[in-house]
Order: sequence, then C-alpha cells, then structure tokens
Amino acid sequence: MEELRTTPHEHISTLLEKAGEGDRQAFKDLVSLYQQKVFLLAYSILRNREDALDVVQETFMRLYQKLSAYEKDRNFQAWLLQIAKNLSIDFYRKHYGKRREMEADRSVEELQLAADDRRSNPESSELRTVISRNLERLGERQRLIFVMKHFNGLEYREIAEVLGISVGTVKSLHFKAVRNLKNWLSPQLGMQP
Amino acid sequence: MSDRDREDTRHHIETCPACADEVRTIERLLEGADSLGQNMKEALAGIDWDAQAEKIVSAVWKENTRAQIEPKQERMWLFGPRFRPVLAGLLLGILVGAAAMFITYRSGVFRKPPAEAFFASSEFLGRVDQEMARRETLDYLEKSQYVLLELAQTQTEGGDCRLTEAAARETRELLSKKKYLNPQLEKARMAKAKAICDQIELLFYELAQVSESLTPVQCRGIQDLIEEKDILLKIKLLKKELQESEV
Repeated sequence: MEELRTTPHEHISTLLEKAGEGDRQAFKDLVSLYQQKVFLLAYSILRNREDALDVVQETFMRLYQKLSAYEKDRNFQAWLLQIAKNLSIDFYRKHYGKRREMEADRSVEELQLAADDRRSNPESSELRTVISRNLERLGERQRLIFVMKHFNGLEYREIAEVLGISVGTVKSLHFKAVRNLKNWLSPQLGMQP
Repeated sequence: MSDRDREDTRHHIETCPACADEVRTIERLLEGADSLGQNMKEALAGIDWDAQAEKIVSAVWKENTRAQIEPKQERMWLFGPRFRPVLAGLLLGILVGAAAMFITYRSGVFRKPPAEAFFASSEFLGRVDQEMARRETLDYLEKSQYVLLELAQTQTEGGDCRLTEAAARETRELLSKKKYLNPQLEKARMAKAKAICDQIELLFYELAQVSESLTPVQCRGIQDLIEEKDILLKIKLLKKELQESEV
C-alpha cells in the first residue's frame, strides 16, 4: 500500500491516457494499483467481502466510462475513491437497509476468519472485535472518515477530497468519531465512561 | 497550536492523572483501530488480486464491446429470423391493401361527380327580364308622377309656374333613366307601358328645353298637354296594372 502513495502523478496520467485510447494493459495496471484501496473503502461501508468486490468491479467500470471526463490536474486517487464511496453508499442503501445489524455481526466473524489473528493476544483481538462492531453505531460520515483514516491510511486532505468537504470538517468529524468510540468502548479500554 | 501551547498541554497531561488516563485510552483505541485496519489489510491477502484485476478488466472490456455492438443488434433485432414471418405477413398485407385501394380507386367509387353547371330555361330568363322591367318602370312612373304633380300645383297667383331645383334635377335624371329603360321595355314586350313612358319622356323633353322659370303661357301649355293626354291618369292606371302583375 505504501507503494501506491509514491506512485508518480505522471505515471498515472500516462496510464489514464493510454487506457482512454483503449490500451487494455494500461487499464489493468490502473486496476492493479488501486483495486485494494477501493476494496477497503467499499468493505468498510458494506462490511461484506463479496459485495465489496462487486463494488470494486463496478467502480472500475464507471471509471472506464468516465475516463474522458477526468481532469489531469485532479487527484486521481481521490476521484476514484469518490466514485467508489458513492457506489458503495448506493449499494448499501439499495441492498442492506434493515439487515444492517445482522450484516455487522456477520462481517466481524468474517473479518476474524479472514485475518490470521493467531499472533495477536486475546485481549487485543477482543478490542478489535468491539471496535469493528461499534463502528456500525457511528454516523455515516464519521464512520467513513474513521475508516479512511485508519484502514485506508489516507491523510485528512485526501479524505476531504474524497468526501468533497473541508479538511477542518474532516478533522472535526474524526474527533467526534473517536470520542464516541471512546465513550462506547470505555469498559473494554479499561476506563470509567 | 503553538509550540508553547503544545508544551503546556504535554506538561499538563503528565501531571494530571485523569487527563493522562484519557489520553492512554484514546491511544489504545487508535492503536486498536490501526490494528483492525492492519488486519483488514491482511484479510486482503486472502484474495487473488491478479486474478481479480484480470476479471475486472475482462468485465469492463466485455461491457464496452457489448455497448458498441448492442445498438446494431437492436436495429437488427426486428429483422432477425424470429420476426421474419411477421414481417412477411406485414409486407403481404401492405401489398394486398395497396392493390385493393388501386382497384377501388380505378372503379371510380371515390371520384367525386362533377358539379352541375347552372342552368336556367329561356322562359325563366324571360320572366326575370320582365320582372326587372316592371320594377324599373314602376320606379320611373312613381318619380315622374311626383314631378308632374308638382308642376301642376306650383302655379302662382301671377299665373306663372316655377319648377324647384330638385324637380328640375329629377327631370334630367328621369330622361337618362328612360334611355336605360327603353331596351328593357322592348325586350319584355311591354308596349303599352312603353307608349305611356314615351309620352312622359316627350313632356320632360319640352320641360327641359325651357328654363326653370316658365312663362305663364309655357306653363299653361304643358299643363294642358298633361290634361289633354290624361298623363297622370294613365300613370296611375299603369302603376296599378304593373303592381298587380307582379311575378
């Protein structure tokens, strides 16, 4: 993931240009570079691996259709994640609704199964479980910002670009998300609420 | 936050147990979140991303190719083998319909009959001419009667008589009208009416030849002429006869 942040802007522009001309390999390179970031964002919203993979595919389909509309001066990653975020939210509103709580529980289990957690101690494993579960209680924007900051490793500036809001608002919403989680998780964190 | 503020805050946290406890809690929470994020990233390892990338690109290319071909297919869809019997039936229906229309049109069913020309019998036209002559003659007699009556009644105490300007103008108009009336009377074979109108015309000629101011002798002469020929009586009788013979 660290490699993605250091990808030269010119290289991305070249890939986009070639993909726009119908270069399959260039488009595949773009997919390879960004699919995991898109997946993490979609997964953080949907909490379901298969649905997130569907959204990843849909995101790149949409990207291909919109290649001609891309402005070179724009932050490509922010633009792509914005498409992914919108598609994920649409997908969530369309398919989830009342299943939210049920999906949240299932996704935690799925996470634990997917991750090789044997190296971690039981206490930290429990903490991760409750954090994951309580993320669902956050408001949509707080959850998105928290996930993009800690799971996707995005900077405040990048999150602001993805969500189309100011950096100050991102910081404020992140602070509220942390405060809410702290209050909800006080017992697990060894503190009086 | 300035460096001084930051230093003051750090110092406060170190000396305040409650704040230090809260900071530790938040740090633990964020560590847990980062750890969870790390675990999610590890979960990514369970997916074959190369195969996933190929799958995505193939799907995009397939969709793109389909989008390019689909409009042609949509156009061709109607002309596909499935709809050939329908199209053949439709074509046959059009041909049969066109042939039926052609035959029907040729038979003249839709042809409008030519409008009949206006026709009037000579008898009808004769009656029209007669009626026109009758009305014109009645008008002529009416106006003549007024002029002649005025002439008969305008004799002054001195014995001379004088035509008003209106009567003189009317006399001239009646002379013109008589020229127009002559062919009508002849055409309608109204000989009796024509004879009386001729006498009136003669009288008006004599009247027009003299000036508006008549001498008593001239006036007497014209009045005698009117009485002698019973012109006013003839006018009256002819008017009655013409009014009764209205077509």
